[in-house]
Amino acid sequence: MNSTLVSRNIFLCAVAILVTSCGTATFSKTGSDATIESLRNFELAFIDEFAVPGKKFNAAAFNAKVNEGNAKFQQAIADEKFTARRPVLVNLKGQFDADAAHLQSKASRGKITPALATEMKNDINKTYDHALGR
Amino acid sequence: MPSAGKPKRRKPSGKASRKKSELDSALGQISDESIAATKEEFQDLLAQAKGDTSELVRQNAEELERRLVLLKKRKIDKEDFDFFVENQKRDLRVFIDSQPAQQQERAEKLTLRVLEIAAKVAIALI
Repeated sequence: MNSTLVSRNIFLCAVAILVTSCGTATFSKTGSDATIESLRNFELAFIDEFAVPGKKFNAAAFNAKVNEGNAKFQQAIADEKFTARRPVLVNLKGQFDADAAHLQSKASRGKITPALATEMKNDINKTYDHALGR
Repeated sequence: MPSAGKPKRRKPSGKASRKKSELDSALGQISDESIAATKEEFQDLLAQAKGDTSELVRQNAEELERRLVLLKKRKIDKEDFDFFVENQKRDLRVFIDSQPAQQQERAEKLTLRVLEIAAKVAIALI
C-alpha cells in the first residue's frame, strides 16, 4: 500500500517536472523569438535611416548606430539560453556586418538607389524568417 | 455564344510573365558570342530552378531574375548585384548542407551554380 503511494507520488512529481520544464522551454523560446524580432526591427530601421537616396552621409551618426547594433547583437548572443540558437544569432550578426559595410560604402559615395534599399530590406526579412524557421 | 466543353487555358500571371520576358529580352540583347554557351546554361538552370519543388530554390531563382532585371535597368549597380549574390550564397549554404546527400548535388547546381554563372552573365548584361 505504502509502496504504491510512494510510486504514485514519484510519478506525479516526474509529470509535474516535465510539464514545468516544457512550459519554461516554450516561454524561453518565445523570449528568444522576440529577441530575434527586435533585432530584425532594429536592422530594418537602420536601413530606413541610412539607405535614403540623396541624403548626405553622416559618418558619426552611422558609426554610432553600428556600435548600437553591435552591442545589441553581442548582448543577444550572450543572453541566448538555447545553445542551438547561438550560431543562428552569429549568422544574423554576420548579415548585419555585411549590410553595414555595403551601406557605408554606397552611402558615403552618394550611390544609394530606392531599389537598393528595397532589396536590402527584402534580404533582411528573408534571413530573419529563416532564422525563425518560417 | 461561349464555346462549351472546351477547357479555358489559364493565362500565366501577368507580373511573372512580364519579368520573365524582361530578362529574356535582356539576355537576347547580349551579342557577345564568347558567352553564348554560358548564357544557354544559365537560362536552362534558371528555368529548372524556377520549377523546382523546393520553395527556397524557387525563391532564390526569382530573386536572382529580379535583380538581373534591376541591374539591366541600372536601378542597382554591379557592386549591389554582387553583394546580393553573396547574401544569397550565404543563406543557401545552410540549406544545401541540410539536404540529404543524394539531393545535395542537384540543390547545389540549381542554387550556387546558377548564382556563379549569373555573375558572368551580369557582366555581359551591362
